[in-house]
Amino acid sequence: MKLAHLADLHLGFRQYDRQTSRGGNQREADVAEAFRRAVDDLLVQRPELVLLAGDVFHSVRPTNPAILFLFQQLHRLRVGLPESPVVLIAGNHDTPRSAETGTILKLYEALGVEVVTDQARRISFPQLDCAVLAVPHQALVQAERPALRPERGAAHNILVLHGVLEDIMDPEWSVSDYGSARLTRADLAAAQWDYVALGGYHVRHDVAPNACYPGSLEYVNPRAWVQLREEAKQKVPGKGYLLVDVPGARTTFRPVPSVRRHIDLPPVHGAGLTAKELDAEIARRVAGSKPPIDDQVVRLIVYDVAAGTARDLDHPTIRQYKARALNFHLDLRRPEQRRVVGVGAPGQRHTLPDTLREFLTRRPLDADLNRDAFVRLGVEYLDRVGGAAGEQG
Amino acid sequence: MIQRQTPESIGRVVATELKPATPHQFHFWTANETTIGIGAIVKVEGPGAGDQGSGRVVFGVVTDGFAYSDLATPLHDVVGAEGDPAKAAERPTVRQEIRLWTAAVLRQEPEEPLQPVPLGAVYLASDADVAQALRMDAYLTGAQPTGIPVGLYTAAGHEAPVYLDADFLLGPEAAHLNISGVSGLATKTSAVEFLLASIFQHFPAHKGRIAALCFNVKGPDLCFLDRPGALDDADRRRYERLGITPQPFERVRYYAPCKADGVNLNTLRTHPDLVGDVEPLVWGLEEVLDFAEVLLNRDDIDAKADAFIDFLSDRVLNKEFDDGFGGSHRVQTFADLDGLFRAIFDGLELTGRSDMWRTHHIATIRKVRNRLSNISTRCKGLVTDDGPSNDLPWGRFEDRTVYVVDVANVDALGQDLVFARAVSKLREHLERRDLGVEAVVVFVDELNKYAPGDGPETYVRKMLLDISERGRYLGLVLFAAEQFRSQVHRRVVGNAGTTLFGRMDADELATPGYQVLSPATKIKLATLPIGELMVRHPHFTQPIFLRFPRPAVLRGRDGVERFPPATDLPFEDAVVRQLVRLDRRIRPNQVKDLIAERRPDDVRRALAAVRRTRPEDALAYFRRILGARVAPVTAPAREAVPPLNPISEEPY
Repeated sequence: MKLAHLADLHLGFRQYDRQTSRGGNQREADVAEAFRRAVDDLLVQRPELVLLAGDVFHSVRPTNPAILFLFQQLHRLRVGLPESPVVLIAGNHDTPRSAETGTILKLYEALGVEVVTDQARRISFPQLDCAVLAVPHQALVQAERPALRPERGAAHNILVLHGVLEDIMDPEWSVSDYGSARLTRADLAAAQWDYVALGGYHVRHDVAPNACYPGSLEYVNPRAWVQLREEAKQKVPGKGYLLVDVPGARTTFRPVPSVRRHIDLPPVHGAGLTAKELDAEIARRVAGSKPPIDDQVVRLIVYDVAAGTARDLDHPTIRQYKARALNFHLDLRRPEQRRVVGVGAPGQRHTLPDTLREFLTRRPLDADLNRDAFVRLGVEYLDRVGGAAGEQG
Repeated sequence: MIQRQTPESIGRVVATELKPATPHQFHFWTANETTIGIGAIVKVEGPGAGDQGSGRVVFGVVTDGFAYSDLATPLHDVVGAEGDPAKAAERPTVRQEIRLWTAAVLRQEPEEPLQPVPLGAVYLASDADVAQALRMDAYLTGAQPTGIPVGLYTAAGHEAPVYLDADFLLGPEAAHLNISGVSGLATKTSAVEFLLASIFQHFPAHKGRIAALCFNVKGPDLCFLDRPGALDDADRRRYERLGITPQPFERVRYYAPCKADGVNLNTLRTHPDLVGDVEPLVWGLEEVLDFAEVLLNRDDIDAKADAFIDFLSDRVLNKEFDDGFGGSHRVQTFADLDGLFRAIFDGLELTGRSDMWRTHHIATIRKVRNRLSNISTRCKGLVTDDGPSNDLPWGRFEDRTVYVVDVANVDALGQDLVFARAVSKLREHLERRDLGVEAVVVFVDELNKYAPGDGPETYVRKMLLDISERGRYLGLVLFAAEQFRSQVHRRVVGNAGTTLFGRMDADELATPGYQVLSPATKIKLATLPIGELMVRHPHFTQPIFLRFPRPAVLRGRDGVERFPPATDLPFEDAVVRQLVRLDRRIRPNQVKDLIAERRPDDVRRALAAVRRTRPEDALAYFRRILGARVAPVTAPAREAVPPLNPISEEPY
């Protein structure tokens, strides 16, 4: 059985004030486009089961375009893959704080999507000989959690849930989704499942060979740079979703190209530079950007910039950069305040011969030995060793 | 209480050219009918001594005795009785006889200048004399007395309490206690139980808080320390004389590993009335890996295995770890670790790479894997594959509390592991001063097994050596017992400031360690009755014989008769029993319904969480941790979705 595992679509996510030609938020359109591309790929890959592991929408009350857009895309999926069940669970972003708010997700049941929003459901798909335990955010934060254990009887047992493992949760909540339910590995018992489809962590991550986060489809956190850093660290090739063969849980990452890049330009160290020199450095960084900064999301950190220097920068040019990029974030950072504490006169660091000389001067010595000669000889030997090493090197 | 008695001379010091009095030994004679014997403490008053005088006073302990008459040779006696022993009794005159005693000097007053013992009158020592003779006056008086009653010195129908100096028994001046004696007389265990009770009642307040950690390594010896034992009037009188209240320990915490099923406890304290006090001792990979050296035998101890274990601890455990073959692991349990090992072996095989993985040879990796998986198999119940761990309350040790770790039925390897880890953790916390108490007495029996004088160097022996040499600075005090002192590592026994000897085997007494004892003392030692000991303590210049009362706790053998261990229960019943113990309101059927068809590991984990948290509503909490069952629902038949009319306007 081949299943597709997507998570953290965050449709309706808005960022920056750049608008599309239709007047919508550009980043919201980017996020939607990423999902459209994912659906395009799904229709080619034709998985037998599609799992959406929470946070389909960025908020409980998503924008109208987002609601419409999801309807369109799920409709495409259902028409294109009529035999493939689609299971959608609510994440923390999809879950209202009070029951009276209700959830828009139920709308998609009309398309034949299995929508699980508050209580966990174990859904059997006899034609796939598969049971999916779908655990939405609400089920994990209520007093009595469901037992995350497979049921005997089905050939394939799949767990889909939205929550973050405590041991990978980053304290800044830049990669893991703020507000997600916390889980332990013992809660998951991954070894007992054929596959565990997780949502709530925005960078692709395997918590066990058969338990994975596919990551979000776009950079949907204000601190996308942390995600980029994490992706580089984990050698993750950007955003996408997972195709999983069950049993065996062999995963294939299907990259979904982003509409635009997030470019973190090489930082500038401004200590000792005048405003003009800094302008030149900034211009060099911008010119060297690959791809060019036009329509991209760009950040440039400049360290050690005094307030006066920052004032004197070439702001009209900077405004031009900002106009070219979708967002150009010139991150000017003040020099670090270093407190100088006087703790005696500055000392000179001892060299190795100095240290040896001092040691030999103090070392207990037989009375019949001449200490001066002993010290001199010791330092000579050290010099010889140093010289020999220098010659070899 | 020390009482002064009216002095009554019982003998007189004699000195001849052949048997002179010296500064360390003297001889004295007594009447033939005397009550003193080997081990009696006597006082010699030289001319001018006494209440008013300023002469020399010497205290000594009797180490040998002689009796002889004025016969020139034995032949004279034969001739006098005409060769008939029956006629010897009818002899007209009674031969002159002498009782001559040798005593070793305990103390001289004044101490300087040190001189031979004066030829003065000999008196039986009173309470005050005993205190003075044994230099106990130095620590029984003063603003902060540090005396710990250890037993009653008994001679000639007279009893005097003897105290050990807490500074020298429990540190920091010296520390540690070693007790040896033949097995089977219950002397060693009884003595330690009694002494611990005495310490708990008399540990000076200015020295802070104290606890004891006892390893029960055989049978039910230490399983009933909180239950009162039978005492007779003599015992009660001795307790009164020593100023100790005869009562069982008020606070005892029992820890025992589980059996292989993970719920029944591996201890003899499983009687339904008592098992409630026993906490399971269960360790996971993290707890074991730090002490993995313990698992390596002599053939295994090499730098490579050590380095690989360190690598696992530092780089792998609880970290996101890339195996180099595309797999990522976070190792937290034995099961995870085995997964990593399998990935390494498979990876090396599939890639056809060399036998090296991250500079570690595959043979080293296999060896470490075997040792680690071995422990989880051999010590199943103590070591859990992936279940929850439950440890001693590090950082929360309570004052005057005995922590008994019952490892009597654990595999020898597991015993070593328990011992090594527990002692290491104690040392760690005492170094950081965050154990909860300032001093801990660790009682280890069977030192012949754990710290033998010969044989391979083991982790446990190294640790015992470390405690005996460094422990006193930390407040870590070793009370150790063995059968054969001569076969225990010399530095372990040598570092014990106080030594107790029970009845000794004649062969053992023939070893060089006992050469300082006189033949008479050895005879006495070989025939010591139950309840008597010989004690050596830094303040006592000579060994002293003492009698101590039976401990006021139930003896192990009596305990298992009065509280017979329960038979192992089926898994479900064992879980019920543990939950009911935590909350009497729980009905067995509720629990059984709840755990039916659950995986035992999940049940064990939930049970451990309940034990750890001690919630008010144990069943609700147990249910919550187990999680609600989710019944399967078959997905409704899905009808194909017809293509819909296009939405008039694209949303984006």
